Amino acid sequence: MTACFFNEIAHAAGALMLLTSQDNEKAIIKDLMKTMDAERLELIPLLLAIQDEFGYVSEFAMQFIANELRIPASEIYGVVTFFHFINKKPKGKFIIRLSRDMSSIMKGAKSVARQLRNDLGIRFGETTPDGMFTLEWTSCIGMNYQAPAMMVNNEVFSNLTPPMVHRIIEDCRQELYAHRPTVGNVGETHASMMSYSSHELNSGLIRAIREMTPAEVIGELTVSGLKGRGGAGFPTGVKWNLAAKAEGDVKYIICNADEGEPGTFKDRIILGKYADLVFEGMTLAGYAVGATEGIVYLRYEYTHVRPHLEAALAARRQANLLGRNILGKEGFSFDIRIHMGAGAYVCGEETALIESLEGRRGQPRNRPPYPVEKGLHGRPTVVNNVETLATASCIVARGAKWFTSIGTERSKGFKLFSVSGDCARPGVYELPWGMTVQQLLELVDGAGAKAVQVGGYTGELVPAGEFGRVMGYEDLGIGGSIIVYGQGRDMLEVAENYLEFFVEESCGQCTGCRIGNAKLLDGVHRLQKGTCSNRYLNDLIGLSHSIKTTSKCGLGQASPDIFIAINEHFKEEIMARPVLAA
Amino acid sequence: MMTTPMRTLSWPRHGTLVPDLDAPKIAISIDGIELQVPQGGTILDAARQVGVRIPTLCHHDDLCTASVCRICVVEVEGMRHLQASCAAPIMQSMRIKTNTAKVRSARRHIIDLLLSEHYGDCNTCKRNNNCELQSLAVEYGVDFYRFGHPTEPKFAIDRSSSSIVRDMNKCVLCRRCVRACDELQGVSCLTVASRSARSHVSTFGNKPLSGAVCINCGQCINHCPTGALTEQDQTDEVWSMIDDPSKHVVIQTAPSPRAGMGECFALEPGTPVTYQLNTALKRMGFNAVFDTNHTADLTIIEEGTELILRLYKALVQKDPDVKLPQFTSCSPGWVKYMEHFCADMLDHLSSAKSPQQMFGSLLKTYYAEKKGVDPSNMVVVALMPCTAKKYECNRPEMNSSGYKDVDYGLTTRELARMIKESGIDLPKVPETGFDDPFGEASGAGVIFGATGGVMEAALRTVIEMVTGKAVEDFYDHANILPVRGIDGARLAEIPISEVGPVPDLIKHLVPDWDWLKGASLKVGVVHGTANAQRVIEDIRAGGPFSECHFIEFMACPGGCLGGGGQPIPTNAKIRAKRSQALYRMDTNSEVRKSHENPAVLKLYQEFLTDGPCGHVSHHHLHTTYTPRGKYMP
Repeated sequence: MTACFFNEIAHAAGALMLLTSQDNEKAIIKDLMKTMDAERLELIPLLLAIQDEFGYVSEFAMQFIANELRIPASEIYGVVTFFHFINKKPKGKFIIRLSRDMSSIMKGAKSVARQLRNDLGIRFGETTPDGMFTLEWTSCIGMNYQAPAMMVNNEVFSNLTPPMVHRIIEDCRQELYAHRPTVGNVGETHASMMSYSSHELNSGLIRAIREMTPAEVIGELTVSGLKGRGGAGFPTGVKWNLAAKAEGDVKYIICNADEGEPGTFKDRIILGKYADLVFEGMTLAGYAVGATEGIVYLRYEYTHVRPHLEAALAARRQANLLGRNILGKEGFSFDIRIHMGAGAYVCGEETALIESLEGRRGQPRNRPPYPVEKGLHGRPTVVNNVETLATASCIVARGAKWFTSIGTERSKGFKLFSVSGDCARPGVYELPWGMTVQQLLELVDGAGAKAVQVGGYTGELVPAGEFGRVMGYEDLGIGGSIIVYGQGRDMLEVAENYLEFFVEESCGQCTGCRIGNAKLLDGVHRLQKGTCSNRYLNDLIGLSHSIKTTSKCGLGQASPDIFIAINEHFKEEIMARPVLAA
Repeated sequence: MMTTPMRTLSWPRHGTLVPDLDAPKIAISIDGIELQVPQGGTILDAARQVGVRIPTLCHHDDLCTASVCRICVVEVEGMRHLQASCAAPIMQSMRIKTNTAKVRSARRHIIDLLLSEHYGDCNTCKRNNNCELQSLAVEYGVDFYRFGHPTEPKFAIDRSSSSIVRDMNKCVLCRRCVRACDELQGVSCLTVASRSARSHVSTFGNKPLSGAVCINCGQCINHCPTGALTEQDQTDEVWSMIDDPSKHVVIQTAPSPRAGMGECFALEPGTPVTYQLNTALKRMGFNAVFDTNHTADLTIIEEGTELILRLYKALVQKDPDVKLPQFTSCSPGWVKYMEHFCADMLDHLSSAKSPQQMFGSLLKTYYAEKKGVDPSNMVVVALMPCTAKKYECNRPEMNSSGYKDVDYGLTTRELARMIKESGIDLPKVPETGFDDPFGEASGAGVIFGATGGVMEAALRTVIEMVTGKAVEDFYDHANILPVRGIDGARLAEIPISEVGPVPDLIKHLVPDWDWLKGASLKVGVVHGTANAQRVIEDIRAGGPFSECHFIEFMACPGGCLGGGGQPIPTNAKIRAKRSQALYRMDTNSEVRKSHENPAVLKLYQEFLTDGPCGHVSHHHLHTTYTPRGKYMP
């Protein structure tokens, strides 16, 4: 009887505590919401803010904000479970995320992983019982030239070795931030970056505003032949022109800084070193297109760059380079804000990015309509890569003629390449289009390479026999990520790594991409075990082509390429298993 | 008589294409067939015009374009990738090929992939022979599982709901349920959670359906291409009751299954089978077959009286607590929608039970006594077009007879299976009438199954009661066309130009009708709870619907005839045919007004002796509601 009575009291007290903690949660969330527009637009920043406060987003919080924002709770659940960096459950005080891109793996990420597992006594995906550490793998964090690298919460640590991570963990335990080695200097590379570093700040913007009409700015870009540097290579002038002509009272310029392509880190370097060049380009785009709002969609992994960007924006506002009547130009108003991503590679696809900006799951839309016609909130929207915008500033400043004098007939100008992997001088390189893979290898000292991945995981695997191929739109015209594979590299391990990435990062809409990539990965595992028949391999090659042709966006359209490539170039090696199997 | 129709509000979401009919037509070719099509239409629509069949899976005519399954891909000359024909707009002249080797191979691959994840055995599946995935596998000659086939389930089957069973092992991620729940119903119980190969259809927090904000309407089932979503099957329980000689098993049949059942027996949609069904039910062993329309008629009297009382209190007695407009309460999906989403407005709901529950209570009391059957040995089955009816009969408050008023709610689909199992070829059996003591009901009850039907039935009665004249004097053949239609939310105004004496049945409640003279009765008709959501918002904002006196709400698109328990497939065309069937049945009925139903009048003489909305009727025919809200622990 007594026990029962006490039980009841305990129950009542529990209920009471629950109530007050929920009330407390409510109050805090309400305060957070006051600081932002209570609109759907702000859903993901709101979720991240709640997470900063509580360490995770509880079901109660989801239902509460659903009510406040008048959207279904289930939809918020869909969003929360879509993004990598939004936690549904409490995680450790220190969330360690080790990058598992191929460059990291090649430079010893696996031994670092072993050290982390041993030190923490947990496996990847787990949290220590004391709630101090959570250990996770993560996709590329843009530190490939200083691989292996990891994030501890929002801080980046690079050039890791097992003894180093041991020290980092000890420091975390003692909460001694000062003793931890900081990230390798952001922006320190082997790059010349001639054009960017010699750019006279804002000269492009000043020239445009003082001497050119918006149409002339677009004309200059069109003549320059600049193509989108994100990878798709759509002519920038044409894009701006379409957006300028599209009907709409409000238009947007979005800078795509969701640099998720494994092996790519040039955008992070540009943002770190030449942020003004990017903002100048966005402002130029705003002027050319007639937009008043610019948004930088910054990937969550680059949170550490944000304060620097905010400072640069504040300085620009101060200097009347942003805001109303910019540089005295009557009627030209433009401002830029930063919107954080929440961990989804597919959000680099422009329509998925827009979906995520609108507070939805980052799922690519059906196109047409294209964003230049109906983008953010159904309004004409230009989505440009960081590098495209920065380069646009140089072009307007120096003229299209200067730009077209560099490069080849069909690939005008220069390009930034992120080089990592088996070479002596990894880093970001500003190079004219038209170099051969061989020439690049000589430059970065990657002699004797077995193969080179050009254009990131969605690019092309070039075997040694084809190193004479040209980097330019006429041949290897994709992205700017170069991963060098030395002679000893196992191409099945490479394919496994790529496919693990694509399986994880598929948004899950298209059947081929959702299920097919997993089948290809399974095929790699079979090849590794020596249990993949020739016939099944052919089935998988056929499947690869179907995935490519039936997928809605660039992810599924490119994800099987590695499977096709190893079959084409390294068939003997991949069919030789399990000779080398450990 | 005038009417102010309000068009269905459509949800303009990206990806849903609307052809521009004003723009000049575009010349295209599909598999060598030349044709002209409107600009901005889809390749799929164009192909259908010329008899080219493009397979679809995630596409559904009721829903916005998703374009996720990619089975409908076609080749467009000059384009590197295949195009999803359901989403690709025709903006310029193009040459399309729908059956090239590349296309066939891609489609086959997609089917192979879906099958490699599809756990379950066709033979034991409710959707065997009516499954879009199965049909595609046949069409594309799948003769082995190229990419494997799961040997064990990934998900536990969720049987927690009284109405709906979710077996996500059979899900193909077409998201039709998610869109139906969101676009048609505004409930958004279902969503896609997670991403990549882990993505799956989920409730909020992946809770079992019984713990989620679900209204049990079953539209997810009706729009599911496979057996991932099915009704909670109660045929075995019903068989065991029939087979138990100590049980007196009776069944009441709702109007909509009569208009839909034929589809399960290869009849054209809209072929009514009312009396063949009665024969089948008797042959199967039901002791008696009754027409739910009797309690539909009774609902009209009770709900109508309640409305008159509300109006009288509000307009004459100036009672500020009376809530108007009064909402209908016969759709259990709608009732649960109110309990979740508009818990603060439950006072607007009529307290009248649904016809199913009214009948249950009467059968276990009035009928049991008449027949000399012990109600504890009596089993009441209800044949309904609806999955929410299963939940409704399980509500704890539904026991005014002293027993569970209705024991089982069977959907049209379940009963079709039972009939087939009995070896009855439904279209070929002779016709049988309904059993005594109720016999035939009115045509007003029949049209309860169509959107606007309850309102029309109510108006036929109210107009005659108030004016003392025949409805036919105001509306040809008593067809009140202003409340008919298919728009999702409609308004109508019925002016009361003259009044007559108060009929005896309700004389004790209102002294005269003078206060209604010259007034205008404003009514609304709404179907699909997504439309209901908009109307509720309109009422809250003081819009035109807030001026209504009475609004009919039906949870499902098209009303009960489009219910979640009806035969699959469903689409606007099929629903229109079922609707025509119901209105034909009404036209052919001898009695077409609820207050002229002799069985109902007899009930008020023999059983509900203190009249409509009296104490006895309140006990047996009225109910209360539970505010549930949207927070789920």
